[in-house]
Amino acid sequence: MVSLNSDVGNKSNRTGDVETNSETRSSVDRRRFLQAAGAGATVALAGCSGGGGDGGPVTLGATYILSGFASLYGEEAERGIEFAQSEINDNGGIDGRDVEVVVRDTEASADTAIQQIRSLVQEDDVDGLFGLDSSGVAQAVAPQVAQLQMPFMITHAATPFVTSPEGEHEDSVGNGYVFRDSNSLAQDIYGAARTAEELDATEWATIGPDYAFGYETWDYFQAFCDGLGVEAEFTAEQFPALATSDYTPFISSILDADPDAVLTPLWGADLTTFIGQAEDAGWFDQIDHTLFSVGMGTDYPSEGSPLPEGEYASTRYDPFVPDTETNNSFREAYYEEYGSLPTYNAEGAYRALHLYKQAIESAGSTEADAIVEEFTGMEHSGPVGDYELSETNQATVASVWGTVTYDEEWESNVLDPVDRYDAGPDVLSEALGDSDLPTGI
Amino acid sequence: MSLPSLVPLIGIADVVIGLSLGSRLFLIAVGLSLIFGVLGVLNFAHGGFYMLGAYVTLAVVTSVVDNFWLAAVAGALAVGVVGAVIEFAAIRRLYDRVDADLDQLIVTFGFVLVIHETVRFVWGSGSYSIDPPDVFNFSVSLGGSTFSAYRLVVIGLAVAVLASLWLFITRTYFGSLVRGTSSDREMAAMLGVDVPRLYTGVFFLGSVLAGLGGALSSPLQSTSPALGDQVIIDAFIVVVIGGLGSMSGAFVGAMLIGMMQSLGPQFISAGSIAIPFLAMVIVLLIRPEGLFGGIGE
Repeated sequence: MVSLNSDVGNKSNRTGDVETNSETRSSVDRRRFLQAAGAGATVALAGCSGGGGDGGPVTLGATYILSGFASLYGEEAERGIEFAQSEINDNGGIDGRDVEVVVRDTEASADTAIQQIRSLVQEDDVDGLFGLDSSGVAQAVAPQVAQLQMPFMITHAATPFVTSPEGEHEDSVGNGYVFRDSNSLAQDIYGAARTAEELDATEWATIGPDYAFGYETWDYFQAFCDGLGVEAEFTAEQFPALATSDYTPFISSILDADPDAVLTPLWGADLTTFIGQAEDAGWFDQIDHTLFSVGMGTDYPSEGSPLPEGEYASTRYDPFVPDTETNNSFREAYYEEYGSLPTYNAEGAYRALHLYKQAIESAGSTEADAIVEEFTGMEHSGPVGDYELSETNQATVASVWGTVTYDEEWESNVLDPVDRYDAGPDVLSEALGDSDLPTGI
Repeated sequence: MSLPSLVPLIGIADVVIGLSLGSRLFLIAVGLSLIFGVLGVLNFAHGGFYMLGAYVTLAVVTSVVDNFWLAAVAGALAVGVVGAVIEFAAIRRLYDRVDADLDQLIVTFGFVLVIHETVRFVWGSGSYSIDPPDVFNFSVSLGGSTFSAYRLVVIGLAVAVLASLWLFITRTYFGSLVRGTSSDREMAAMLGVDVPRLYTGVFFLGSVLAGLGGALSSPLQSTSPALGDQVIIDAFIVVVIGGLGSMSGAFVGAMLIGMMQSLGPQFISAGSIAIPFLAMVIVLLIRPEGLFGGIGE
């Protein structure tokens, strides 16, 4: 497999090696000595020896949706994990130790996710956590993570409230242990408002899932449109329950309101179902523009209804942008391995392992607090580009929106043309204007 | 729940969608009502039968024979056989128990879980969808709104099923046995009716109807293991509103709920799912026996 360490990442690693090696080595030597002494004592006492300790693998715990309406997200994340794992382990591991990942199914349920996370920490004794696909689940998990004092790198769930410090807003649950390497709903929807700015559409509607994510998407879109001075009226909204099998009544209601454009954060199999039923109802003939905020997450590997060409979609990661050596080689190698373009969920999970590698090697330790300290304000570079983890632990990645276009070469939809909007703290803060919604960054 | 949206604009599509949703509900609710009316069994597994009908149809049409109608018949019959086996092997043993109602409820709920997990094991937890049969795979534009022509087919078939069932129950010898046994089981047995076999036959028929509902609905919805759980609640609401054991009640109740599901989103942007529950509460308060009552009515 091709080594995909980024140029910038390699440089920083190399620099880090020079600066920290002696310190790391000496602490490891001390630890090894003590460990050897301890092991010797144990052998002497019990007459047998065991492995593990610091010489064993670095174990990370991951939680994704692996069953149900959004299982495709979990499957994609597993690919990203597998890809990063082989890459890291084939190239010396993390400080010479292999990395192992225990992946658990959240079933898109907050209760299940919390159980799995507790089990990963208390029974599997993991050194760090990452994952999560649902905003609702992330919102419930964040306080638990703080209680467990274990770093958690969110790689997909987008609610801005998990990277908004507790107290900033009534829904804010951000804390020192929760980080996110993918872009937040606020960053994503900022791009939607920038896209709306360019479109010939004044009447806007939404159809989104009936939980926090659906409502937050619509709230942020309206706030960004106001802040950016987009000429928009918000004329209809529908929030069907998750895993609805028949969207036609909701589709019909939106069509009756006849908006110019619709922003939809439907996702997973719900989105596939929606697209098929919307096509039957003549949606794409009647509505001038449909903006899919989560669509590209499952579009590449999906066998269901693809996103219709000519509509707009965002992605947390684009396999072609930025046009860097790191991104291009990641895309090529991933495609060779799996036969489809890497989705943002695969890339987010892939990057989480590299972030842990960088943090653990830099800290010279797998202690939770040492990793948290390294993550805080960390600069990193991956296929998604260069970014840092902000004051609120949110990656300063760009918001990417483009036109859905079928690409013959990749036999897949891509975003072309595509725009990258800088979505750092200052940009979001200014664009939110007078709104009391937090930037989450 | 959000604030009420705009002034509702009800189009022809909303009505057609409502009637097609009602037709789907009728097919499941009438089987549920028939089984309750004759056997006195409240079959919780009926939603699972509906889901199974959809899955078998999908499996047959994609892997065995590329003909939707044959696949739908196969789906309905397969579910009928599953239903008959469940009645014969399990439910039959509970009729004479002191707490038969409770035991039946628990046993049929057990089968909900068995069917759900079996489907998950065989087909996975993802969702599937198929196109309507080619001849009806087009959209109809009427009065400025567009809907799938196949919806009209589902509505027509539901009406045909209602008519056939009515003729079957009121005009055939087997129908008279069903009505007689439903009125007085002991008397029917004394007059020589093979009640156990009749019960299995009725359970088979009710299950076939649920399977047919799932089969005919498969081109209009995504099919996933959660499908049965969603639809059984609606079916119970339908039979409570229509009157347990009543075919015409099941039809009217199903169409009412279908229209509520279709038009509800016009009035409120979220939580329209609660409207049928509200209707059920009102019916229970005003007319506890439902709008109709008794088998064959």
